[in-house]
Amino acid sequence: MADETGIPEHALTRLAGLRRQGHPGGVFTSDFSVNEFLLVRKAGFEPVGLCVGSCIYHLGFQFAGWTSSVELDVLSTAMYEARALAMERMRQEAANMGADGIVGVRLTVKRLEWDSKVLEFVAIGTGIVHAKGHQGFKGPGGAPFTSALSGQDFWTLLQAGYRPLEMVMGSCVYHVARRGPISSLGSIGQNVELTNFSVALYEAREIAMERMQLEATQAGAEGVVGADLHEGSHGWSSHVIEFFAIGTAVLPIEGHAPTEIPDPTLVLSVNA
Amino acid sequence: MTSPHQDALSPAQHAERFEAWQIALDAGGLPQFVAERLAGAAAGSGAWVATMTPAELLLARTHGIRPVATVSGTCWFHYGQSWTEGHAQGWHEALARIEREARAAGANAVVDVRMRTLRHRIGASMDFTLIGTAVHIAGLAPSPHPVIATVPALEFVRLLEADIVPVGIAVGARFDWLGNPYGSSGWGGGDWTALSDIQTKLRSFQSIPIMTLTNFWEGIRREAHRDLREKVAQQGNGVLAHTHFGQLIRQERDKQPPAYLGRHIVIGTVVDAKPGAGVPHPIEMVIDMRDDTSPLRESGGVRHSAYQNDAMDEEGGI
Repeated sequence: MADETGIPEHALTRLAGLRRQGHPGGVFTSDFSVNEFLLVRKAGFEPVGLCVGSCIYHLGFQFAGWTSSVELDVLSTAMYEARALAMERMRQEAANMGADGIVGVRLTVKRLEWDSKVLEFVAIGTGIVHAKGHQGFKGPGGAPFTSALSGQDFWTLLQAGYRPLEMVMGSCVYHVARRGPISSLGSIGQNVELTNFSVALYEAREIAMERMQLEATQAGAEGVVGADLHEGSHGWSSHVIEFFAIGTAVLPIEGHAPTEIPDPTLVLSVNA
Repeated sequence: MTSPHQDALSPAQHAERFEAWQIALDAGGLPQFVAERLAGAAAGSGAWVATMTPAELLLARTHGIRPVATVSGTCWFHYGQSWTEGHAQGWHEALARIEREARAAGANAVVDVRMRTLRHRIGASMDFTLIGTAVHIAGLAPSPHPVIATVPALEFVRLLEADIVPVGIAVGARFDWLGNPYGSSGWGGGDWTALSDIQTKLRSFQSIPIMTLTNFWEGIRREAHRDLREKVAQQGNGVLAHTHFGQLIRQERDKQPPAYLGRHIVIGTVVDAKPGAGVPHPIEMVIDMRDDTSPLRESGGVRHSAYQNDAMDEEGGI
């Protein structure tokens, strides 16, 4: 019967209305799409459960002089710490489930509508285990790895000969100096670069990237994939901006040669 | 030839049908005329009706899957006791009803099941509707419990090949109060310490995590996930949750610290997967050479959810 339809026996039994009694392997929860689920399985993993960690954080105040371009280090630390706490709580839940790692982690920040100084940080992803119990995929110190990569990207990363280690982050909250009245007067009617603004943006971005890179190096990673830089003001005054760098630190899989990677096929879709 | 539309129902016939629906819904059955239409479709005496695209029809045919009829289940639900749990109850009732129609159509599965709701504002209520295509699989007897697959027919077939059957919908829901203003616990109740701790932290100039509120809020999410897991266990062994909805609401109170209401709903497609079955198909990597919009790069989005991604609903209550 399975030959006729190409549908495996177990699936046909289920479609005939017969249900297996109980589920010896337990029940998993995930936030995968169908395609992600298939690709994670294709990669040799099985989902275990949704892992969530959060942190509701009260952001204090830090003064910056009107004319100074400086990092608001108290806020940088706070923004980093809150995210790290949410991630750690998520990772703890994954460890309790016995997961090898968490894929598709979405890290979000939301300002709660009832208090502008309160931010809610949430990290959520799907904990997975290797179907054959391979232990080589765990993150640093035997803890579950974390990865912002989707199920599709996870499969592709493994094909590329790398495995995710952990998500790395860098935050820099920066105060950009306001221009004094004299320098403003000087540029009336002229096209000029506002050098101090350019420099401030460069500097803030640089600090955030540096921190993320350092974190990856300390985790023993070879590199960072999917690095992204977000700018956000989280309801602060117009001259305060956060640069937030995030990516997934990766390590090469031992014994994987680049020659194993098949060449992608070039196609031209004509049904556009 | 006369159009079926000219054969209008008389007011008496309308009333009769309305009553038949009511009796059927109360008894957990179907009105005679619906049962007849579906039985006719199953026997092939009428035209089959499918929401499938031609590509989906093509793939379904190669796997011995034949469309039978469009089936649906609706439950208009009033939130008397809880908004959060109402969502779970409403969808689960709609699920039972669409299954009933599918059974009447002699189907093995309903594919392409869409979750729909009218965005109306009629009291504290919402309608929960499921609509999809009942299908029959060659060589199988009609199922006493047709599976309800909230995935398009294309994905349905791909899942079956990997020995995964999408079987239904599960909703995990949870709400809780920190300092319940409607509870009988009196002034502040047992949450007094937690609430005053939150107030102290909110008034400080420091940057600090508010752990009491974090633990409360995270606990609700985890409970919703646990609830989801329990609902899933009744139907299959896994869930692909596509919708997550959460709100943490503060309620000001007279001469007391504000109370907090947290609510969280998770909705997903339940699957029955053979553990460790793997995926039989090889995967070929392709790069599309098209510069403008490519059908290969276009994002499909979540077609089968009634909720706009993680939409925030502004309704009150719990």
